[in-house]
Amino acid sequence: MHAPPAVRVRGLEKTYPGGVRAVDGIDFTVQRGEFFGLLGPNGAGKTTTIKILATLLPKTAGRADVAGIDVDADPRAVRAGIGVAMQEVGLDDLSKGRDFLVLQGRLYGLGRAEAGRRADELLELVGLAGVGRRRIGSYSGGMRRRIDLVGALMHQPAVLFLDEPTTGLDPQSRLAIWEYLDKLNERGVTILLTTQHMDEADRLCQRLAIIDHGRLVAEGTPAELKAGVGGDLVRAAFGPRPAEADGADPADDDTAAAALRALPMVRQTDAAPDGITATVADGGAAAPEILRALHAAGVPVAALTVTSPSLDDVFLHHTGRQIRDTDADADTDARVWGQWMGVNRQ
Amino acid sequence: MQILRESSYIYVRNLKTWLAQPWMIVAAVLSSAVMYLFFGEPLRAITNLPGFPTSDYQAFLTAMVIVMAVVFSGSDMAMVLLTDIMSGYVDKLLLSPVNRFSILLGTLAIGATRAVAQVAAILLVATVIGVRFAGGFPGVLAVTLATTLLAVAMGCVGLIIAVRTRSVQVTVNSWLLFMPLAFLTSAFMPRELLTGWFGIAVGLNPVEYILVAVRTIIIEGWMWEQILPGLWVLLATCAVLISAATFEYRRATN
Repeated sequence: MHAPPAVRVRGLEKTYPGGVRAVDGIDFTVQRGEFFGLLGPNGAGKTTTIKILATLLPKTAGRADVAGIDVDADPRAVRAGIGVAMQEVGLDDLSKGRDFLVLQGRLYGLGRAEAGRRADELLELVGLAGVGRRRIGSYSGGMRRRIDLVGALMHQPAVLFLDEPTTGLDPQSRLAIWEYLDKLNERGVTILLTTQHMDEADRLCQRLAIIDHGRLVAEGTPAELKAGVGGDLVRAAFGPRPAEADGADPADDDTAAAALRALPMVRQTDAAPDGITATVADGGAAAPEILRALHAAGVPVAALTVTSPSLDDVFLHHTGRQIRDTDADADTDARVWGQWMGVNRQ
Repeated sequence: MQILRESSYIYVRNLKTWLAQPWMIVAAVLSSAVMYLFFGEPLRAITNLPGFPTSDYQAFLTAMVIVMAVVFSGSDMAMVLLTDIMSGYVDKLLLSPVNRFSILLGTLAIGATRAVAQVAAILLVATVIGVRFAGGFPGVLAVTLATTLLAVAMGCVGLIIAVRTRSVQVTVNSWLLFMPLAFLTSAFMPRELLTGWFGIAVGLNPVEYILVAVRTIIIEGWMWEQILPGLWVLLATCAVLISAATFEYRRATN
């Protein structure tokens, strides 16, 4: 008999009091041992989804199972098997780092000696061994994230939910967290991470679901998602015509687009500042043809670059917007308690 | 047993948090000592009024100092809990597989501990300035126990305020709610000497009956006809407020 997947979500919906529909019927499955990402802008429904899976928030409809257990049927059993680090780091500033971890362990049923041993091991893992006896209130932002993260690992959960684990961190701390997460995943921990950072999703996740306005708009490995955009991107930057001193002739856009669309390997063209971008299956093979076609059409080309699509392009492809333009409905300050109090947040 | 074990973890954590803020403790003790200083000596002449039950005004005042400290501890409790809610620490606790009522129990237990410490400090100050306890050592124990129960009840009010409002603004000013409970009493003068609307309001305040019982034990000893109404009111207040806090907590965490 097969073990159930780490996370299985079907038709999940969440409507907050006041009618805001934060999650609008999503389905996804995370296999055991997988590093899975939910990628989307603020307000997309990522945090709400994680909170439902972590039993912190009741769903409106659908079904959510963690390690085969329905989150509604047995929330305590779900909690016992998962680790959660939310975006709003919930720490006790007056507590010392090691004491905080030991208490976490005790709350998950570890014995005193075992909790102490595990706390020391985890403090070592995240480079906080030297400050374990300092109060958490004196920690930097990066240190707070790390202690919060390892707090979620004290009981060695099989599934780890991380809500924007590196938001607000400096690049060095971010990189350190990424390395720890890689190590954990290599040890067999299933990780479900939410992020609004394309580079993070690309660097860490084996599979991704892109979420926007509470719906999943695409799902696959980063490579599959990028391939779904339509191949490589060849960008031609226009050079100045001999008689002109500043930039491209406006007519170049139309001329270049017409010339490129005539090429059989070009799937799509998009205007770019002072240039044009063509989507092709194989950028290396298409580049000489594109250069030749533009030259024949009389469009001067200053530079030609071939790139593979990024996840930014994937998001743009599926939503028509860039992720950084869509930060409108901030869910960053939402606290679970706020939901219980009937505060309408997402 | 598991719920007790879990509660003890939360309790120890709360205790450490409290002890990590020594000024909170010093301020609590100082404020009580200052009460004696401000009200004890200047109002001593009140004992000459006909019908005043004792000639020792400091002894009369001791019940007021204790009850007032305990009533206002409800406001402190609200702030302590709100701090944990706002920092997200309560969420962290709720993410663990512990019984949610362990968290409630651990929180109320620290309220009780703080009350015991504060009442003990006040009784010590009272002893140092010469107050003699008519109820003897059992009286001291009874006063400590009763006011600790009152502290738990007031802690429940604080908990409801913090959980309901989740507002720093409201919680910081919640002492306003506790003020009438503490002051609409015969704290400074026996009830027989209070007249008009104040006298009526005092009669409607449950804390008054508890105060009278505590004061009776201190200045007159085991006069059951004055103690029993306070005991019943105390038990009823505890039952109502603990039930209300439990209900509110259940509503908030489900």
